[in-house]
Amino acid sequence: MDVDAPPPSLPETPTGPQYKLRYSLSGHTMSISSLKFSPDGSKLASSGADKIIKLWDTYSGHVLRTLVGHTEGISDIAWSNDGEFLASASDDKTIRIWDMSVGTEVKTLLGHTNFVFCVCYNPTSNLLVSGGFDETVRVWDVARAKSLKVLPAHSDPVTSVSFNHDGTLIASCAMDGLIRIWDAESGQCLKTLVDDDNPICSHVRFSPNSKYVLASTQDSTIRLWNYQTSRCVKTYTGHTNRTYCIFACFKGKYVISGSEDNKVYIWDLQTRKVIQVLEGHRDVVLAVAAHPTKEMIASASMEKDLSIRLWSNES
Amino acid sequence: MNESLISPFNITHPTTVQTSLFALATFARFDPTGRYVATARVDGTAAIWDLDTRSAVRVLDGHVKAVSSLDWSRHSRYVLTASKDWNVVVWDLASFCLPAQRRTTLRFDAPVVSASFHPRNSRIILALLSTGEAYLIDQRKAHRARVELCELQEESDDEGAGPSGRTRSAITVARFDPSGKHIFLGTNAGNIIVFSTRSKTMVARHKIAGAGAIKGLEFTKTGRQLVSNSADRTLRQFTVPIYPAATADGVYLEQELEPTHRFNDPINKTAWHSMSYSPDGEWLAGGAADSAQHKIYIWDMSNDGQFASALDGGREPLLHLHWHPSKSSIASTTNQGNILIWHCPHPERWGAFAGGFEELDENVEYEEREDEFDIEDEADMIRRKMKEEEEEVDIDTMPEVSKPRQIQMHGVHVGDEDIVWADDEPDDDLEDWKMRVIMEEDWDM
Repeated sequence: MDVDAPPPSLPETPTGPQYKLRYSLSGHTMSISSLKFSPDGSKLASSGADKIIKLWDTYSGHVLRTLVGHTEGISDIAWSNDGEFLASASDDKTIRIWDMSVGTEVKTLLGHTNFVFCVCYNPTSNLLVSGGFDETVRVWDVARAKSLKVLPAHSDPVTSVSFNHDGTLIASCAMDGLIRIWDAESGQCLKTLVDDDNPICSHVRFSPNSKYVLASTQDSTIRLWNYQTSRCVKTYTGHTNRTYCIFACFKGKYVISGSEDNKVYIWDLQTRKVIQVLEGHRDVVLAVAAHPTKEMIASASMEKDLSIRLWSNES
Repeated sequence: MNESLISPFNITHPTTVQTSLFALATFARFDPTGRYVATARVDGTAAIWDLDTRSAVRVLDGHVKAVSSLDWSRHSRYVLTASKDWNVVVWDLASFCLPAQRRTTLRFDAPVVSASFHPRNSRIILALLSTGEAYLIDQRKAHRARVELCELQEESDDEGAGPSGRTRSAITVARFDPSGKHIFLGTNAGNIIVFSTRSKTMVARHKIAGAGAIKGLEFTKTGRQLVSNSADRTLRQFTVPIYPAATADGVYLEQELEPTHRFNDPINKTAWHSMSYSPDGEWLAGGAADSAQHKIYIWDMSNDGQFASALDGGREPLLHLHWHPSKSSIASTTNQGNILIWHCPHPERWGAFAGGFEELDENVEYEEREDEFDIEDEADMIRRKMKEEEEEVDIDTMPEVSKPRQIQMHGVHVGDEDIVWADDEPDDDLEDWKMRVIMEEDWDM
C-alpha cells in the first residue's frame, strides 16, 4: 500500500477548528465506556466498567449525581428526547431506565440473555432499541418495560444500534461485519451493507438528515455510507482502531472519533483530511460525544487515564 | 423516511388486520400525526393509545355517561370528548399526571351528540345536542360567544307566525369542513345546510333528493369532496361548491346537490355505520352495519368509484371506522370494543439480509462488462476510489415531508379573512409539541 494516495493526516492549522482542553473530570474508577450530552447540552452523562453512571454539569465541570444500581459494568447510555430519562446497557444483562430529575431507577428491562452492549432511544422516546452479545436487536416499550420485538439480527455480538431522525428506521452493526437497516415498525430487514474485507463493525449512526450512516470498523477506518445505493461515499483514516468498539460522531462539518493511540481525531467531513488531533489522554479513547449546540466535545479514556476531557473550540 | 427503502409502488388500501387493541371502546380515532389512536367507552372514559407500543398511554376520566364523540386538535395536544352527560371536556395532554388534566369543561342543557374543534384553533368548538340544536362556542377572549346555528326558513313563510310557529327540522350531523371556513349541518329532512364559521350566518342549503335524514358527513383532506351517509342506506359523494362570502342581508344559496357517486349494497341493503377517505382521497372506506360480520367496503375513487374490495374482520360486527391521516391504515371498532388496526403488509425481502445482492423478479441473461474481471492496479483503484469520494455529501438537509398545512384547501385563497379570523388568538398547540412518556408502575385500567 505504498502508493501515492493522499496522506491521511497533516493537520492544517489556519482553517480548522481550535479545540482546547477546558476541563478534565475525574470520578470513575474503571474504564469509561460511553459519554452522552443531554439533549439541551447542559449535562453530560458518563458510564463505565465500574458499574456507575455519573452526571456532570457541562459548563462548570461539577459532578451532579452518581447513579448506582447495575451489578456489572455498563457499556452504553442514552438520553430520552426531553432529557428526563437515561437508559443504560450493562453486562448484568439488563437495561435500566433512570429518572434524571430525581436520580432514581424507574424501570429494569429484562430479556437479553447475554451482555447488553448498546442502547438508543427513538426520537419520541417511547421506544428503546438495544443490542447485545446474545446477537439480537430488541425493541422495547419503555413505559411498560416490555419487549416488543426481538430481531435475530446478527451472527455475532451486536455492537451498535441507532434510530434515524423520524424513528422509522433502525441501523445495527455487529462483530460479523454487517450493517443492517431495519424497518422500525415491522422489524423487517430492508438493507445490508458490507465492506469487501468484512472487518468487525463497532459503531454505526445515522447522519443528522438520515440519508447516510457513519460506520466505524476495526480496520482503523470510518466510512460514510449512502445506504440507498449501498455505496461508501467517504472514508476517514489516520486513527488507530483494531481492538475496541470506539464511538464516532458528527459535529457540524466535522467527524470525530477516539483512537487507540490515546488521541481524539477530527476530520473534515468533505475533504476527509484530519484537521485536528487532540492529545492529552494517557490511554485508549473509547468514547467521544459532541455538544448538541455549542462548539464543545467530550472524550473519555480507559483504565490508565480515567479522565473525561471537555474541549471547546476557540477559533 | 423508510418509504425510500420499502417499495415505492405500495401505496394502496389496507388489506389485513395488523393488530387488535382490547379497548372496550365504542369508536376510535387516529390523531393528526398518526402516532396515537383515541378510544371512547360507554362508561364515560376515553384512552389514548400509542401505536408504536400498542398500549394505552393516557386515560381521560371525566364523564359519567357514554362518550359520544371525540376530536383531536391539529397538532394533537388537545383532545375533546363529548358525552351524553351534557358535557364537553377539553383535555390537555401536555400535563403529565394520570388521569390527564382538563383545560375546559363546557356544559349544555341536553346530551351532546357530537362536538369538534375548529381545524385551525381548538378554542372554537362546534357542538351538536340530542335536541337537534347546533352551537358554535368561541372561547377566545376577543370573540367569546356561544351561538346557536339556526336554519333560515323560506322567505314565503308567514312573518307573523314567528320562529316558534314553524316546525324546524332537527340537526343530525354537525361538521367543520377541513379548512374551518364553513360548518356543514345535516338535518333529519335530508338537507345539508352550510354556515360561514366567522359570521355564523347561513350561506347555503342543499336538498339531497331521496336521502332522508342525514346520518354522517365526511370530507377529503382538501375539502373538495364530501360524502354523506343517510337514512336511505346510501353513501353519496358530492363535489363541494365554492361558496360566496357571507352577506349581512341573509341571502343564501338554495341549491340541490347532485351526487357524483352513490354507493350502496344492492343485495343485502345494509346500512352504513361510518365512512372515511384515505389521506389522498383516492379510496373511500365504508363500514357496513352488518349484524353478523365485520365488513369494510373499499371503493377506488381514482378509478371512478369502482368497488375495490371488501375486508372481512371476523365475526364481531363493526361499529365505526377511521382512516389513518397519512398511511394506508384503518382503525375499525367491533361491537365487543376491540379496535382492529388494518394495514397493508410489505412482503419480507430476504435478499435484504445479504449485502450487495439484488433480488430479481425473473431470470435475466447476465452480460459481463468487457473489463469486469480485469485485475485493476491497486494504486489505480485507490486513486479512483479517492476521486469518487471527493464529491460533496449533504448530511444536514432534511428530506421534504409534506405537512398537512401545506395542502391547498378547497375554496381557500391567500390571506383568506376566514383563516385570519380563526388564527387570531391561537391556542398553544404547537407543531413541535411532543407527548411526554409517563413511566407508570401500574398501567392496568
